[in-house]
Amino acid sequence: MIKAKHLRLLLGAPAIVLIFVFMILPITNMVEMSFRVPGAVDPFGDDYTLMHYTRVFGDSFYWGVLARSLLTAGGVALLCLIVSFPIAWHLSKASGLKAALLYALIASPLMTGVLVRNFGWMIVTALNGPLNETLIALGIISQPFRLLFTQGLVILALVHVFVPFMVLPINNALRNIPDNLVEASVSMGASRYRVFRDIILPLSFPGIQPGVILVYVLAVAAYVTPALLGGQMVTYMPTMIIAELTGTFRWPLGSALAIMLSLSTILVVGVFTTLTWRLMERVRA
Amino acid sequence: MSGGATMFTQQRPVGFGFTLLIVLLYVFLLVPLVTIVGASFTAGLLIEFPPRGFSLQWYREFFARRDLVDGLLLSLRVGAITAIVTTIVATMAALCGQALSGKRSGWFQLGMTLPLLVPELLTAVGLLFFLFKIGLGKTVLGLQMGHILMSFPYAYVSITAALRQVPSSLDEASASLGATHWQTFRMVTLPLIMPGVVMGAIFAFINSFDLYTISLLLKPLGGNTLPLALFDFLTYEFKPTAAAAATISIVLSVIGVALVQRLVGLQRAF
Repeated sequence: MIKAKHLRLLLGAPAIVLIFVFMILPITNMVEMSFRVPGAVDPFGDDYTLMHYTRVFGDSFYWGVLARSLLTAGGVALLCLIVSFPIAWHLSKASGLKAALLYALIASPLMTGVLVRNFGWMIVTALNGPLNETLIALGIISQPFRLLFTQGLVILALVHVFVPFMVLPINNALRNIPDNLVEASVSMGASRYRVFRDIILPLSFPGIQPGVILVYVLAVAAYVTPALLGGQMVTYMPTMIIAELTGTFRWPLGSALAIMLSLSTILVVGVFTTLTWRLMERVRA
Repeated sequence: MSGGATMFTQQRPVGFGFTLLIVLLYVFLLVPLVTIVGASFTAGLLIEFPPRGFSLQWYREFFARRDLVDGLLLSLRVGAITAIVTTIVATMAALCGQALSGKRSGWFQLGMTLPLLVPELLTAVGLLFFLFKIGLGKTVLGLQMGHILMSFPYAYVSITAALRQVPSSLDEASASLGATHWQTFRMVTLPLIMPGVVMGAIFAFINSFDLYTISLLLKPLGGNTLPLALFDFLTYEFKPTAAAAATISIVLSVIGVALVQRLVGLQRAF
């Protein structure tokens, strides 16, 4: 059996090589690139320097773009949570054919490309599109309003993209709450609000925490949505990084910006995890 | 009192307000997709929803456009190769992961899902430099490697989940009857995990078909994948042809969802 086990360990080699060579090495490469001097003709030079970091961290313009990216992602994660919780709750109570149908409804957007889904919002929010016409028909607005190329649409489309990532972990956590726990507290006279606040919400936290972190990390680095729906007026970190890499060909500067974005994301996630640590501990107890 | 019970226990009717909220949220999830499909069949000249009449003219227009069709063909080809390669490598890796235990197993799991956990943007930027350095910059092979990397975790997770359902006693029984490792894998394990393997291939294909950022940075000279071609198209011409192209992509993913549902059930897939 020892031999069989060694054989099995060997089977992992191609995957390890794949991840190491095409992911770990490239990201190390990016770190190295951020210390290179700018090139005269090529995208980068031969020598090393700290100039990109002093430039990036010393310029309030970059801090502003970074703040916009971090805040937008925070808003997206929060809105995602608000939208996803009822869906996850509803899904966790369904079973059989109904559950299968609901899973399909949630998975279909997940398996459709981000670009396609963003394009859908361009049609929905067009001046003579279904959203404006419905709101006018309902008498909520009198004039059609333009949502395309605004920060609002970027946030709306990002929430739409990430809802499935939030619904699935929360749904799993909710399914683990025993029904009789809820029934017991209701029969002991707990109000609807108390049951939600003291039982459902804390016990669903093991799903909420990873969901929020995942959506935040994905939203901070999302490129397509701001590029397609944000227009030229609003710059986010990912659109700026890609412009440096493919437009102006300043690879070292683009790398420094990417590292600035990564470090600040790690910092935010770290703070969030620390702040919510005690809540998680309480749930485990 | 009964209000509290209806809200939180199974099988009892929920309030009208909650039902309305749920319906609205599902409308929110599906409305962009429905609008695209609807708009692609318009007989008019503009992208609009509800569509004006019914026609297939924009599909004809799509297939007459070289740039879009070339994009579709490149996406299909890269997606198919991605599905095949990732499924083989991921099956091997899943067998390896199963043999590990304790802390090592956790680290292996983390390593194998890394491309999913690190934002695509960072991987794409790193790969742009790395492929340039090793001479694969702006080649189809470079793009292909990026897609294989990004789709690998989907196949790995599906196949690992399938492998967990196979009792280890079957392996031992097969070995004690004198079967070689390869025979045990071919005749016992593989047939049992086949639904998971196929599901992994479907996820890998669809993920590859939808990738954008990594394709943008690694795109080969003169070659566009369908999402890249569609983005360019949308920037210059906002015509229903784009809706037809997007509908083709939606149909592919709906077929994928239906296949996964039939094979293993979505509930277990997620």
